[in-house]
Amino acid sequence: MLTFIARRLLFLPIVLIGVTLMVFVVMSFLTPYQLVSAYIKSPEELKNQSLDDLVRKYGLDQPAHIRYINWVKNLLKGDLGYSKSANMRVTEAISKRFPATIELALFSIIPVIFGGIWLGTISAKHYNRPLDHISRTFAIIGWSLPDFVFGLIMLMIFYGVLGWFPPGRLSMWADTIVLTGDFVRYTGMNTVDAILNWRWDIFLDALRHLAAPIITLSYLWWAYLLRITRSSMLEVLNKDYVRTARAKGLGEKVVVNRHVRRNALIPVATVSGSMVLGLLGGVVIVETVFDYKGIGLLTATGAQQLDYTLILGTTLFYGLLLVVTNLIVDVLYAFIDPRVRLE
Amino acid sequence: MVIKKLLRNPLSMIGLVLLLGFVLIALFAPWIAPTLEEHKNEPYRVPRFGWGSSPSPPTKEHPMGLTQGKYDVFYGIIWGTRTAFQVGLIVTGLSCLLGVLIGSVSAYIGGKFDEVIMRFVDVFMSFPFLIAAIVITAVLGRGLDKVIIALVLFRWTGYARLIRGSVLQVKQDEYIMAARAGGVSHPAILVRHIIPNTIFPVLIQASMNMGSIVVTAATLSFLGLGAPEGYADWGQMISFARNWVLGSPGEPLKYWYTVVWPGAAIVLFVLSWNLIGDAFRDIMDPRIQA
Repeated sequence: MLTFIARRLLFLPIVLIGVTLMVFVVMSFLTPYQLVSAYIKSPEELKNQSLDDLVRKYGLDQPAHIRYINWVKNLLKGDLGYSKSANMRVTEAISKRFPATIELALFSIIPVIFGGIWLGTISAKHYNRPLDHISRTFAIIGWSLPDFVFGLIMLMIFYGVLGWFPPGRLSMWADTIVLTGDFVRYTGMNTVDAILNWRWDIFLDALRHLAAPIITLSYLWWAYLLRITRSSMLEVLNKDYVRTARAKGLGEKVVVNRHVRRNALIPVATVSGSMVLGLLGGVVIVETVFDYKGIGLLTATGAQQLDYTLILGTTLFYGLLLVVTNLIVDVLYAFIDPRVRLE
Repeated sequence: MVIKKLLRNPLSMIGLVLLLGFVLIALFAPWIAPTLEEHKNEPYRVPRFGWGSSPSPPTKEHPMGLTQGKYDVFYGIIWGTRTAFQVGLIVTGLSCLLGVLIGSVSAYIGGKFDEVIMRFVDVFMSFPFLIAAIVITAVLGRGLDKVIIALVLFRWTGYARLIRGSVLQVKQDEYIMAARAGGVSHPAILVRHIIPNTIFPVLIQASMNMGSIVVTAATLSFLGLGAPEGYADWGQMISFARNWVLGSPGEPLKYWYTVVWPGAAIVLFVLSWNLIGDAFRDIMDPRIQA
C-alpha cells in the first residue's frame, strides 16, 4: 500500500509542472499589456506607472522560459495577481468563494451517489422489464437536460411560481446577521457555520437556497451512476457465487443487497474521480443560473468580463484541485480493491 | 445485426425517429422558416420584429413568440438546428481525426515516445472540460469558430486513449508482422492495416459524444462566449430567456415561451443521441450478453 502511494506521489510533481505549463501556454496567447494585471498587486500600481513601465518591471518583455520561471516563482509565493472583476487579489477571491462551492458539492454528492446507485439496482433487478425502462428513461432524460435549461426551469417553477427556493446563498435578513461580528465565520460554509453558531433559522435558510442547485446537479448525474451500477450489477448477477447464494436459499433481498451490490460497487468507485471532474464543471453553470456565489460563478463572470488574471488563476486552481482529488481517489480505490495494489 | 437490435428496442427507436426529424428540419430549414428578403445573404441571422427588449407572446406570424430583443424564436430554433449539427459534426470529426492520428502513432511507435505523449494527454485531461473550454474561448475571443477550436482542443484526448489501447493489442498480430516482412512501409501499415481494424470503437464513442458536444457549445453561448448576438443558436436563445424566467409580479409564467421552446429543442436533440448511444452501449457491452 505504501509503495503504491509513494509511486503515485512521485508522479505528482510531473503532472503539476504539466498543469502550470499548459496554463502558461494559454497565457502566451495574450499580449503583455493584457497580462500585466496578472502581476500587479493592487490597482494603485496602474495609476502611478505607464503600462510599458509595468511590462518592463515584471519582465513581460523577456523570452518565454524566463517569464515561465518568474511566473512559477510568483505562484509558489501564492501570488496570482489582481482581479479587475472581483476587485481583489485572485487568491483572496478564490479563498472567499471556495467554501461555498465545497458546500454545494458536498451536499450534492450524497443524493447523487445514493440516488444513482438505488436507481441502478432497480434497473438491474428488473432487467429489460417495465421498471428497468422507466428508471432508465427517467435517468436518460436527466442526462440529456443541459444544466442551464433544467436550472432555469427549476428557477421558474420553484421560485417564480411557488416561491420556495430563492436564488443566492442567503436571504437578506440572514445575510445581515452573518455579516455582523456576533456571527463567527468558522468555515465559510453557511450551513456549518450556522450550526456552530447555534442559529437554526440561518441553517434552514441556507438549506432553502441550496435545495434547487442540489436537485439540479443530482438529477443530471443520476443517469451516469445508474448506467455504471446497472451494467456492473448485471455482470455480478451472473456470477457463480450469486447462484450459490440463491441455492443456499437466501432471500432475494439479501442476495441483491449483500452479495451482488457490494461487489458491483467497485466500478462505481472507479468513476468517482471523473464524477468530481464533471461536478466541478457543472457547478459553473448551476452557480451562474442560481446566482450562487461560489468559485464557478466567479469563473463565469471573469470569463464574461475578459478578466484573464482571474480565469487563469481559477483554472490553475481547478487543475491543482483535480490532481489532488485524483490522487485521493486512487488511494481510496486501492484501499477498497486490493487487486489494484498488486498491479 | 446491430441495426436490427437498435430497431427492436423501443427507446432507441424513439431516438432514431427524433434524430431523423432533426435532420429533416436542418435540411429543409429554408422552406420551414424562409429567410427575409433583406437578409438573403445571411440566413443564420435571426430576424427581429419591432423594437424594445421585452419578449412578446406567440402570434400567428410568430408561432413561438419573440424573445428578448424581439428576435423570432421559431426562426432561431429552425436554423439553430443547422448550427447544432454543424458544431457537433465538425468538432466530432476534427477531434476524432486528431485523436486517432496521435493515439495510433503513439501506440505504434511505443516506448518512451508513447510514454511522453500519454503524460501529455493526462495533463489535458486534468482540467474539467467545460472550464477549459470557457478559458480558451475567453482568451481567443467570441465566435463559433473559437468555440469549435476550444472543444476540439479538449476532446481529442479521449479518442487518442481509446485507439491507443486497441492499437497496442493489434500491433502484435501476425498479419501486421506479415505485412512488415513483405516490405510494407510503416505509414502504410498504420493507415491500411491498423487503423481500419481499430477505428470501430472510436466511431461509436464519437457518435455517443455528439449530444454532449452540442450541449457544451450551447453552454458557452449561454455564458455569452459563443456565437455572436443574433446568430441562430439554441444556447443563445436560452441566454436571452435568462432575464425573463421569473415573469412579472403576479404572472410568474408570463414569458414561458422564451425558455420552453429553445429548451425543448436542445433537450430533444441531445435525448435522441443519448437514446441511440444508450442502446448501442447495451448491445456492445460484452458483459451483458450472457
